[in-house]
Amino acid sequence: MSHSNSFNREGLLEPFNNLHKPLFFCVGLLGLIGVVVLYSVAGGDFSPWAWRHGVRVVAGLALIYFISTLELRTFYVLAYPVFGLVLILLVGVELFGARHMGAQRWLDLGFMQLQPSEFMRLALVLALARFYHRIHQNDVSHPLNLIVPLAMIAVPCMLVLNQPDLGTSIMLAGAGLSVVFLAGVNVRYFMAGSVAIIAAIPIVWQNMLTYQKERVLVFLNPERDPLGAGYHIIQSKIGIGSGGVFGKGLAQGTQSQLNFLPERHTDFIFSNYAEEMGFIGALALLALFLLTLFFIFRIANQMRHTFSRLAVASMGFSISIYVLVNLAMVMGLAPVVGVPLPFVSYGGTSLLTFMMSIGVILAMERQTMADLSK
Amino acid sequence: MALFENEAGLFSRRLFVLGATQASLFALLAGRLQYLQVSQSANYETLAEANRVNISQLTPARGLITDRQGTLLADNDRKLLVELVPEQIRDLDGTLAELQEHLGLSNGRLRELRRKIKRGPSFKAITVAEDVDWDAFAAINLRLPFLPGVAPRTGEKRIYPEGETLAHVVGYVGDKTAADLRRMGRIVGDTVGRSGVEREFERDLRGTAGVRHVEVNARGRNVRELETTPGKPGQNITLSIDVALQRKLSERLNGHSGSAVVMDIETGELLAMASVPSFDPNGFSRGVEASTWEKMLVAERKPLMNKAIRGQYSPGSTFKMLVALAALEEKLVAPEDEINCSGVYPFSGEKFHCWRPEGHGQVNMVQAIERSCDSYFYDLALKVGINRIEAMARRFGLGAATGINLLGEKNGTIPGRDWKRANYDTGWRAGETVITGIGQGYLLTTPLQLVVMTAALANGGKLVTPTLLAGQSAQAQPRPIGVAPEHLAIVQQGMYRAVNKPDGTAYASSLLIGNQRMSGKTGTVQVRRISLTEREEGVIPNSELDWHLRDHALFVGYVPHRAPRYAISVVIEHGGGGGQVAAPIARDIMVDLLRSQETPPPPATPTPKAAASANPGESS
Repeated sequence: MSHSNSFNREGLLEPFNNLHKPLFFCVGLLGLIGVVVLYSVAGGDFSPWAWRHGVRVVAGLALIYFISTLELRTFYVLAYPVFGLVLILLVGVELFGARHMGAQRWLDLGFMQLQPSEFMRLALVLALARFYHRIHQNDVSHPLNLIVPLAMIAVPCMLVLNQPDLGTSIMLAGAGLSVVFLAGVNVRYFMAGSVAIIAAIPIVWQNMLTYQKERVLVFLNPERDPLGAGYHIIQSKIGIGSGGVFGKGLAQGTQSQLNFLPERHTDFIFSNYAEEMGFIGALALLALFLLTLFFIFRIANQMRHTFSRLAVASMGFSISIYVLVNLAMVMGLAPVVGVPLPFVSYGGTSLLTFMMSIGVILAMERQTMADLSK
Repeated sequence: MALFENEAGLFSRRLFVLGATQASLFALLAGRLQYLQVSQSANYETLAEANRVNISQLTPARGLITDRQGTLLADNDRKLLVELVPEQIRDLDGTLAELQEHLGLSNGRLRELRRKIKRGPSFKAITVAEDVDWDAFAAINLRLPFLPGVAPRTGEKRIYPEGETLAHVVGYVGDKTAADLRRMGRIVGDTVGRSGVEREFERDLRGTAGVRHVEVNARGRNVRELETTPGKPGQNITLSIDVALQRKLSERLNGHSGSAVVMDIETGELLAMASVPSFDPNGFSRGVEASTWEKMLVAERKPLMNKAIRGQYSPGSTFKMLVALAALEEKLVAPEDEINCSGVYPFSGEKFHCWRPEGHGQVNMVQAIERSCDSYFYDLALKVGINRIEAMARRFGLGAATGINLLGEKNGTIPGRDWKRANYDTGWRAGETVITGIGQGYLLTTPLQLVVMTAALANGGKLVTPTLLAGQSAQAQPRPIGVAPEHLAIVQQGMYRAVNKPDGTAYASSLLIGNQRMSGKTGTVQVRRISLTEREEGVIPNSELDWHLRDHALFVGYVPHRAPRYAISVVIEHGGGGGQVAAPIARDIMVDLLRSQETPPPPATPTPKAAASANPGESS
C-alpha cells in the first residue's frame, strides 16, 4: 500500500515510477500537435499562438504530475467546497464578468482571464461522484436521490446558458448526466427525460437568442447564408475536403493561410490540421484521441471506489464529447456551438481544465486501493 | 461483497454502453472524413481554388490606325478617370459636392449624373469624369476613405492626332452600351467603335482578352500573381489615306460646307476623303455633353454627317459625259454633229435656259463638254431618251451604294419611268428628260459615287469598289462597264479641253506638273427656281443670295490627263459656280498629289512604328 501515500519524501522521481505513463504521454503528444498546428496557422510562426500554447502545455503537464501526487481523500474532501466556490464564481461572472463578443464568460483576475464555466465541468463531476459515493446502489433511482444531482447539474447549466454559452452549457449537462447514468440510475428515467426534452424543444426554441436560432438554422442548411453564419461551415468543409489524402503540407493550406477559415486557432483548428495533414493525418489524430479515451475508460473500469470510477469515467466522457462535438461541427455534422478541441485548440482555461482532469484521473489511478470511507 | 460486485458490474455495463456509443460516433466521424477528404476531395479542391484564385480579364490594346505612310491616325494613351458606384454612396449630396469641387463639373453635368444614378442599376459604375488631371485625381484618392462609392481608376483612351481632319473616316469610339452587347455579344474593354473605321473594323481592332490569375485572401486582397495569359492586341489597320493630302484637302475645304474625295482609279484606294465642317473626335471619345451633341445634329451644315457618302446632290453638268456616252453607243449622233445654242432651248412650250444667256453658237460634242453647253445636252437627252440615260448612269455605279467599307452610305437616285411611277404615281414627262440631260431634276449622287464614275471614265471603263484599306484592292475586281474606248476618248477629250482650253469652264484651274495636266468637268447645280421676271431683270448673282439658296459647286476630274491614275470629286454646298469654287480646290489638291508623285512613292503598307509600343491595359 506504499503507493497510496501521495507525496513520498524519498524523492520527486519516485511517484513517476507508478504514474500511468501511456496516458500522460498521449496528452503530451496531443498538446505538442497543438503547438505544431498553431505554428502552421500563424503561417509558420511561433508567435502569436504556438509558443504560448507550448508554455501552457508544459505547465499543464507539470500540473498533471503535481495533481497526480495528491491524496484521493483530498479530492473527496474538497469536492463539495470546490463545487460551491466555482458556483459562486459563475454568479460572479453574471455580476462582474467581462463582456466579449456578446457573451459574458470571463472573470478578469488581473493576471489572467478566467472562464469559471470551464472549471465547473471538473467541479460538477467530482461533486456528483462524491454524492453517489454516499448512496447505496439500491437507492440511486429513488426520486428523492434524483432531485439533488439534477439540481446540481441544472443550476450551473442555467448560469452558463445565461452568459450566454449554449455549447459549454450542453457539455456541462452531458458530463453531469453521464455521472447520473454511470451511477446506475434506472434507464427509464433517461427515456422519460429524452421524451421531455423532445417535447421541450419548441419552448427552448422560443427562448433562444436570435444568433443561436440562426446557428441552428444555418447548420441545417449552410447555404442559407453562405457569406454570413454559414460561411464558417462551408469554408471549414472546403478546407478539410481540399486537403485530400495526403494534405497540402504544413503551413501550405490555402484555406487557412489566406484567412478563409474562421477561428482557425481555436474552434476550427481541426480544419486547418486536416487541410494540411490530409486524411491520413486526420485519422492519426482521431486514433490518438481514441487511444487516450481508451486508457481513461480502462482506468475507470479498474477503480474500486464509486467516487473514483464515476469521476474518471465521467471526465473521460467529458473529453470525449468535446472531441466529438468539435469534430462534428467542423465537418458540418453539428451546429457551430463554440466548443474547442481538447489539448489542441488555443485557449487558457479550457486547456487548464482538461489538464487538471487528467491530473485527477492519474491520481485516482495510483490509488485504486486507497481507503475511502462511505 | 455481492453488492459490490453487482455495483461494479452495472457500472462496467453502462461504461461499455457509453464507450461503444462514442466509438461508433468516432467511426462516423472517420467515415465523414473519408467522404470529405477522399470521395469529395476533388470537388473541395476546386472550391478551394475558386476561393483562392481571382480571375480577371486583361483588356487588349486596341489596334492602331495609320495612314498609308504609317502616320498615326488613332493611338492609345493612359487616362485617369473617376467613377461612382451608386449602391456604395452614403451621402450623395456631399459626395457630388466634393467631386464638383475637385473636378470642376458643371451644374448641368451634375444633374445628368443624378439622373443616371437614379435610373441605372445601383451596382454599375457611372463615369463621373474622364481624362482627369493628375492633381485632381490625387486629391480625390486622398479623400477616398471619406467618399465611399467613389472609384478612381486608370483606363485607356483613344486619341486622334489628326483631330477634325479625319473625323469622318477614322470615326471614334464610345463607351459600350447594352445595345452594343446585344449586337456583338460579349466584348472586352470599355469602349467600342461608334463610327467610321473604328466601327467598321471593330472586330479586328479589338483583339482578344487576356486572363490574369491572382491569389487573393478572404478579404479579396491580392496576395500574389499566379499566371497571366496575355491577350492578343488588336490588329493595326493601315488606311489608304495619305494624311498629307488629306490635311491639304481639309485646309482647302475649310470655311465651306461640302465634301471631296481623291481615289486611285485602278485600285479604288481612297487617298483623301474629307467632309466639312467636321468635329473633333477626341472630344467624342471623351464623351460629349448632350446639349453639344444635339446642337451638332441639327446644325445647318451638319458637321456629324460624312457628306462624302451621305450627302446627296444633283450631279449637274458632271453628268453630261454619261449622256454623251449613251448617245455615242446608240450611234444617235456623230461626235462632230453640231447644234446651234442661242442661250435658250424651247421645248413643248417651255424655255430651257443655257447657263450662258448669250448662247454658245455652233457646238459639237467635245465643245459642248468643254464649255458645258446646256442646250446641246437638252437636245441630246431628248434624242437618247430617259431609258438609255438611266441605264448608262447605272452602269457607271450611280443610284447604288459603291460598297465602300463604311457604314451608312446613301444610294442616290437615278430617275426613270418606273421610278417616277413608283414614287410619284405619274408618268414620265419629256421635259424631265431635258433637265436630266444636264444632271438636274431628280438625279441625286454622292461625292463618292461621282469619283467612282470619274475613275471609270478615266480608266477605260472599269467600275472600281472604293476602299479605305491600303493594299486590299485585289479583293474586289473592277467590273468592266462595256463602253467603247473610242467613245471614252471623245468624252476624255472634252474633259481635257474643259480644263486646259481658254473656252473651258475650268480653264482658270489648269495645271502643269512636268508634262502632266488635269482633265475634268465642272458642275453648277441650281437649288432654286429662277422666275421669269428674274430672268428678265437679270439673274441675281450667288453672292447676293442667302447661303442656302446659292448654287452647289461641283467638279470632277483626273490626273494625269494622258495616263490617268487619280480621280477627284469636289462638291461645295451652296458654293456658287463649279468653275469658280470647286475646280480650284481640285487643282490645288492634284498639284500636291502630282508633286508628291515626282519623288519616289513610299511603300503602300509600311509597318506602323507605334505598334511595338502597344501594351495591354487592364480592366478589373
